[in-house]
Amino acid sequence: MAADPSPAPTSLSFPRSTFAKLTPGPFLHAHLKQNPPIRPSGRTLTQFREQQITTGSLTHSHGSAVVRLGDTTVVCSVQGEILKAADIPSPPDESADNEDLLETLGLLVPNIELSTGCSPAHLPGNPPSTLAQSLSWKVRTLLYGSEIVNPEDLQIMFTAPKIDEEDDAPVPEVKAYWTLYLDIMFISLDGNPFDAAWLAVMAALRTTRLPRASWDADREAVVCSPALEHYAHLTLHTTPVTATFAVFSTANPLKQRSEAESWVLTDPDTSEEEVCREALTVTVDGKRVLGIDKAGGRVIGMEAVEECVKLTFARWKEVSTILP
Amino acid sequence: MPHITTSALQRADGSATFTSNLYSILAGVNGPVEVQRRDELPEEAYIEVNIRPGSGVGTPRERYLESIVASVLRSVILVHLHPRMLIQVTLQVLQEPSEKLMKGKGEVAVLPSLLNAAFLALVDGGIPLETTMSAVLVAVDAAGGVVAEPSIKELLICQSVHALAYDLQGELVMDQSTGVFDMGIWEGVAEVASERCKAAVASTEDTDEMRDTDESGEPWLRTALEEKVRAANAWREQT
Repeated sequence: MAADPSPAPTSLSFPRSTFAKLTPGPFLHAHLKQNPPIRPSGRTLTQFREQQITTGSLTHSHGSAVVRLGDTTVVCSVQGEILKAADIPSPPDESADNEDLLETLGLLVPNIELSTGCSPAHLPGNPPSTLAQSLSWKVRTLLYGSEIVNPEDLQIMFTAPKIDEEDDAPVPEVKAYWTLYLDIMFISLDGNPFDAAWLAVMAALRTTRLPRASWDADREAVVCSPALEHYAHLTLHTTPVTATFAVFSTANPLKQRSEAESWVLTDPDTSEEEVCREALTVTVDGKRVLGIDKAGGRVIGMEAVEECVKLTFARWKEVSTILP
Repeated sequence: MPHITTSALQRADGSATFTSNLYSILAGVNGPVEVQRRDELPEEAYIEVNIRPGSGVGTPRERYLESIVASVLRSVILVHLHPRMLIQVTLQVLQEPSEKLMKGKGEVAVLPSLLNAAFLALVDGGIPLETTMSAVLVAVDAAGGVVAEPSIKELLICQSVHALAYDLQGELVMDQSTGVFDMGIWEGVAEVASERCKAAVASTEDTDEMRDTDESGEPWLRTALEEKVRAANAWREQT
């Protein structure tokens, strides 16, 4: 009788995915140590993920976009609602320039929803996390700060008919405003939520068409024309583009700082974000820089920031051609 | 020169007030204390930052500021010394300019004061730190002139506003910039800010001709820290 074949000796080496789960830091380090450095996803250090933009998928909203950035998927819907000027408690001064008008009245309302089951870190049904709230605020700040939406597009004007021949020509007055609600839902989240959210906002705003609204003096109400040919696009002033970079560093308080090595990773995914503490987000528009946002560490110096800004300018060229 | 008091709160482990020309911040630090289960980190201390605005309750704006302050403090505190613990930093805005700063300028403008107050409170609370850092606010006017520690009037009309923080070694700890600018201007801003931060910890005994007090500011941080050390060692001199 032949004895039971003894089981094959279990190997002590792990498959790649187990190594990645057990020790994410050394796993990424092992990849980056190669020459030239390559990331676990097969990308180079400065490579962005493939993006895919689909617009107009939501038929009930005035503008919408679905953006995929690798495995991060975001839906953004733009919904216009009417705010009557008479309902504003302290109406803005007519004579004041309307540079700050949008923000004073809060006519752009972004909201980011992460509690959709988009990632294991964000449980569905939970109240908005700190990340969701601070992302909403970042989108809001950039919407107002970049002056992307023309305030005149959101004003619903009314010129009273001339009753008496001797009267001066009537001045048009603002009877109501459009308020744009930007709902940003993450379907799946695999790192870099801000870039994906902003790309979705841009794509959605660029395809937003608002119906022609006019003031009906007899009914004291705003009426919208249902005719499709009366829908008009927003005139967007700028096309800001953002790029996020994460820094992986072997710096350790137990080691000399000079021994530490670090790599700047463009457009990080979740596995990379989890082991990177320092992050940098750059916002550019054409030749202008609209924002730099760096926190979390002390590895990126001036030269590295400038390098990232250069990469973002290149990214702007690429993205501004593919936006709808 | 900012006005600083330390140990302002009786019952907190560490506290400080920091009053710049724009904002007045009260910071309190508790830690290391026990951490809630869901926040517990196996290898390091969890940093919790709570910001209370000058009026009303916290909004997403405060959550956004908290996330920035927490990530900066995490890079300064020696978090690995207190695994599975919590270091809680609470920042109360006591005073702010009555004019509202729009387009993200208000958030950037308050950050240096928040960070400086939090850092002084951490020092007061005896939390082990990796380095000394200070933050500074810089504005760029329409003509491209760089103004450090701008007044509210200058902020209202400026082109861009930058909050930068540097550590003792002169490394860039944080940069929050908003507005419209180009990289040439940013380099100028970074230079002015790093000079300011260097001056904040410059030696007080060193009355070298090189140091121009009017240009780059007073060594406020060193003065505050030296006072702290002197007070802590007072018992030694008495005995």
